[in-house]
Amino acid sequence: MEATGADQVVGLGLVAFSLMLFTYYTIWVIVLPFVDTDHVIHMYFLPREYSVILPGVAALFLLLCVGTFIGVVTWKNRRSKKLD
Amino acid sequence: MTKLLEWLLGVSFVGIAWGLVTFDLLDLQLPSVCKEVAWPIPVYLLVVFGCYSLATVGYRVATFNDCEDAAKELQAQIKEAKEDLKQKGLKM
Repeated sequence: MEATGADQVVGLGLVAFSLMLFTYYTIWVIVLPFVDTDHVIHMYFLPREYSVILPGVAALFLLLCVGTFIGVVTWKNRRSKKLD
Repeated sequence: MTKLLEWLLGVSFVGIAWGLVTFDLLDLQLPSVCKEVAWPIPVYLLVVFGCYSLATVGYRVATFNDCEDAAKELQAQIKEAKEDLKQKGLKM
């Protein structure tokens, strides 16, 4: 079985999204400090402290999702064992 | 040297370099731009690793395929093993 058209769209979409994120974040964190503070490019980026706050919030959210998922799965397992 | 030790050594090396630049422990009088770039570097490395992982998963999703040669090879090996075990007196 080969990857279908939908698989290819989803996969290449993931690749494109990660490349975009990498480029934007690299410019934000690595390049911006070397650009003058009154340059137009600063209009397209949030203040610098958010470059750490936003990933932190995203990481917390992901950990919460994983934790909830594990919790729900173990809870369901335990309940179905009791029913047996 | 085990893989774990290698990684610990690498991580501690990067961590020490980061601490030296960010907190200016050696009093190097670095320009403030250096500090500005240095302090979010751990988060930046984490984000880059996440991007790489996401891209790898996406690429594999786009190009996954059956491994027919490997399947044939494995089936041949199973057959071979069964014959060998039969010769040695195992009932299947």
